[in-house]
Amino acid sequence: MSAAVKIWEGENVINLEIYDTFAEMKKGLQKEIRQSKVLLPGMKINVYVGDKSLTDKQIREIEDILLDYGLHLKELMTNGPPGKQKRKESFSKVSEEGFIGFPEDMPEYEETALIRRNLRSGQKCFARGNIVILGDVNPGAEVIAGGNIIVMGVLRGMAHAGAFGDENTVIAALRLNPTQLRIANHITRPPDGEVIIVNAPEIARIRAGKVVIEKLKI
Amino acid sequence: MKGKVIVITSGKGGVGKTTTTANLGTALAMMNQKVVLIDTDIGLRNLDVVMGLENRIVFDIVDVVNGNCKLKQALIKDKRFEGLYLLPAAQTKDKSAVSPHQMKNLTNELRNSFDFILVDCPAGIEQGFKNAIAGADDAIVVATPEVSSVRDADRIIGLLEAAGLNNPRLIINRLRSKMVKRGDMMDIGDIIEILSIELLGVVPEDETIVISTNKGEPAVIENNSRAGAAYRRIARRIMGENVPIESLDDTGNLVDRFRKMLKLAR
Repeated sequence: MSAAVKIWEGENVINLEIYDTFAEMKKGLQKEIRQSKVLLPGMKINVYVGDKSLTDKQIREIEDILLDYGLHLKELMTNGPPGKQKRKESFSKVSEEGFIGFPEDMPEYEETALIRRNLRSGQKCFARGNIVILGDVNPGAEVIAGGNIIVMGVLRGMAHAGAFGDENTVIAALRLNPTQLRIANHITRPPDGEVIIVNAPEIARIRAGKVVIEKLKI
Repeated sequence: MKGKVIVITSGKGGVGKTTTTANLGTALAMMNQKVVLIDTDIGLRNLDVVMGLENRIVFDIVDVVNGNCKLKQALIKDKRFEGLYLLPAAQTKDKSAVSPHQMKNLTNELRNSFDFILVDCPAGIEQGFKNAIAGADDAIVVATPEVSSVRDADRIIGLLEAAGLNNPRLIINRLRSKMVKRGDMMDIGDIIEILSIELLGVVPEDETIVISTNKGEPAVIENNSRAGAAYRRIARRIMGENVPIESLDDTGNLVDRFRKMLKLAR
């Protein structure tokens, strides 16, 4: 059976069962995505690995590969042929617990502004370099930085990192709950009508041309 | 006598600044304090209406700052309480008729003969707001449990802090405990978490406020008004008493409610 991207019961499934080692699996996955004509950025993908069990780190890596192509891992499926397989129910949890640290390619700026108070509605702060805020950023407040933005509190307002066009900048907060996030020339907002409450630090950065939010390990 | 000037503000209109000013002023006067209420909403005055003193106005705040009359002549004595006065706003001028500097002089003059000078601030953040906070020592921010009101309160707190009024205190007005319980309304914790300032008190939504406002009699006079009771407790806190923040539970059985009513009446 050749590895392939299949549409199974309306869901996209990539079969990685044929690969023996994890390294081959990764290579195969990249090949499949490149060759596939079905996959479009933004899609949610199931990955089937047969009997093999992957560590959290390996799952993370698969997720990273998918993200590089603008795809999201929906579920990691194991055991039995696709369609009849028992889904690993704890997977979504595993993925949620997959914290990441600050990325290594995070740009460094010489200047960093340290703000030791809450930013309230109507208040604005700007710095050419990084901004670190020891407090909350409330709705209606704006933080604009040429570099990275770190909020040691709740970010509920608007934050713009890489205001001069640096796409490698990040926005991190102990609680990331913004009205809008901007990184370089990308603008995102939380989805309408969905309330997502995450009780953990999070980090936003650009991956494959999209603003992606992930849990942050501090 | 060195009186304290407290500005009552909110940013958003219609959250109960004027009602709060009238009730707190009356409650403080009931505790034998000398109190003057200043209406700084020039052009849209209504503190006089809420206090039921509209028909006694001869001079107003603009006359005072322009020197058309003496301060004493413009002060209207309350019809119910000794030691409670009102300085009404002008109805025919606009907010630029008074400058922050003039307000400062005015409140400083009033400090000498009153314990509390309560300034009723107009809605908005323009000239009227700047006038109202000019001479203040303390600020009370009124907010209702609505996102728009909390947002404006947050903005106002920022402006107050920028003006040197560093520790404003919060009154949450028109809280409906049943709606909070159902999760349909922001609760006290949510509001405090965003605004992160000291809570001075919580006033429940109460129909008696509408009745008393229309009659020109502050609700604090009524013994069976829940909002009035809340304002009386806030007044005691302003006086420095340690009164715990009440839990606004209006459910409970009949006996509890009856007991609560008796307690309020005392």
